[in-house]
Amino acid sequence: MRTIRFSLLCFILFLTQNVLAQQPVTLSIFNESTAIPYDRLFSTPIHPGVQIGTEFNWKESRHFRLYPSISVGYMFHRKLFQGLYANLELGFDYKTSFGLNLKSKIGLGYLRTFSTQQEFQFEDGEYKSRSDKGNSRLMPSFTTGLGYRLNQKENNSSEIYILYQSWLEYPYSPGFIPLMAHTNLHLGLRFYPFEKNEQ
Amino acid sequence: MMKKILQLIILFLLGACMEKDEVFEASFYECESNDISNNPQYPLANSIDSLAKNFTSRGVPGIMISVRNVEGQYTKSTGKSDLASDIDLKPCNITRVGSTVKTFTAVTILMLQEDGLLNLDEPISKYLSKRVLNGIENAKEATIRQLLNHSSGVHNYIQDNSFQTASLNDLIKEWQPEELLEYSRGRDAYFDIGTDVRYSNTNYILLGLIIEEVTGLPFYHVFEEKIFHPMNLSFTSFAATDPVPDGIIRGYVDLYSNLNLINSTYYSGWDYFSADGGLISNTSDLSLFMEKLFQGEVLSEASLMEMMNWIAPNEQDGNGFETYYGLGIFRIMTDFGPAYLHSGDAIGYFASMVYFPNQKTAISWASNGNYGKLDEIIQSKKTMEGIFKAILK
Repeated sequence: MRTIRFSLLCFILFLTQNVLAQQPVTLSIFNESTAIPYDRLFSTPIHPGVQIGTEFNWKESRHFRLYPSISVGYMFHRKLFQGLYANLELGFDYKTSFGLNLKSKIGLGYLRTFSTQQEFQFEDGEYKSRSDKGNSRLMPSFTTGLGYRLNQKENNSSEIYILYQSWLEYPYSPGFIPLMAHTNLHLGLRFYPFEKNEQ
Repeated sequence: MMKKILQLIILFLLGACMEKDEVFEASFYECESNDISNNPQYPLANSIDSLAKNFTSRGVPGIMISVRNVEGQYTKSTGKSDLASDIDLKPCNITRVGSTVKTFTAVTILMLQEDGLLNLDEPISKYLSKRVLNGIENAKEATIRQLLNHSSGVHNYIQDNSFQTASLNDLIKEWQPEELLEYSRGRDAYFDIGTDVRYSNTNYILLGLIIEEVTGLPFYHVFEEKIFHPMNLSFTSFAATDPVPDGIIRGYVDLYSNLNLINSTYYSGWDYFSADGGLISNTSDLSLFMEKLFQGEVLSEASLMEMMNWIAPNEQDGNGFETYYGLGIFRIMTDFGPAYLHSGDAIGYFASMVYFPNQKTAISWASNGNYGKLDEIIQSKKTMEGIFKAILK
């Protein structure tokens, strides 16, 4: 058992020092809303969310970057739902020479929604208060936005970004409302916490 | 072990963000009326009792049914007024009855015409400013009558996707009429004025503003003066004066179509201040209103005839009853002959009021649950046929 634990520790250290060393972390806070995409940029009340993830390099040239990314997140929509999700996206950035990135992504995620209110389930002819086991949803998404590389000359530069993510919640209410449109407005940072000191 | 700890942490965090329903004492829902009693001697009592129980056995949280005819009146309630507090629904409890208010709005407009304050065949631009009507296609040219019978073609704000998502985004927002009208501005009209009929809530927001313009009073005060008080509708009020009055039964929505309900009592803010919804009442008052209206005790004979000048839509909905549009009322063709009807939804509530002229019978029913699977149970054609058959057979 000790050997296994030691091996696992060594593996994590190796990963941190070598593979993860090249991996950026993306961290964003966002405002979720039920909305028709591009109807409005920002809406109130604020329904807060937080997302953390990473990106992988696939193809990159002087002006273009194509990259898969994965993320997990949580959002809280008062009076309607709270959700935990995992999302896989394919991103495409156009990099300008002055540090600005034009960003776009398409993605597909798994979302588990939970009620923010007490639930009553009809069982055996009567309603009973019950604990929420959640509902499974798919969340296809399309995202556009802007990023700014803090160190314009480096590929592995930290970047601050603002992203407008449109996504669908499917299924929503079968036979009643087939799907629901949402938008998330993200303010985030991409950074390299595991980067090796090359000096 | 770590997996279990993680699961527990997640469940704790999710649980911490969940609101529990308020729990009330039974006295909170106490109500009294000498007129509303479950008189077991009423000839239809057994049929109505079975009907009500059938609703709750299929998942309706609470239901009240009232019948008035030459043999008297009877109201049956069954189920719960509040699931968290486990309190039985009473026949005199108050509930939201949504768009049934449109019949009250139409009756008020007809009364104001009788008073000489307006004329149904004048364009609404005579009464409402350009600022109000700007950008709402067909509105400037439409007459009051065309708003009343939905032949104006004006876009229905409530069917606008932007409005629907915006109302879900802020479920407890209290919307003003001007904000709701914004969702009909810049939208295409459904058809040229007078060439067809199509239900539009926007028509009735505008009618509420006309009532205010010609009387100088909030439209719901005019309802009180002209209808609620004279007709002794003691359980009826409009939401604007007290949006969630003490004792109103809790409303529930089956949002995900799985008979898993959440409390939506505070979610109907889009119809608190406009004349297309927002009525609070009970089935006893609704049946009384319908009986008096169609037995000629409310409007002059000429006004009632105008109200019942029926227009057929160019195409009937194949799934529903054959339907004709009057002024704030519909005529449907049933197995028991014609019936005059209006129904209404609020979020978590449904009500319907029907009058059968041949049988001189008024029937109303209301539930404190809707959407999802509940809609099929409480308001489908099959459900309505079952109610009519049980009472009129």
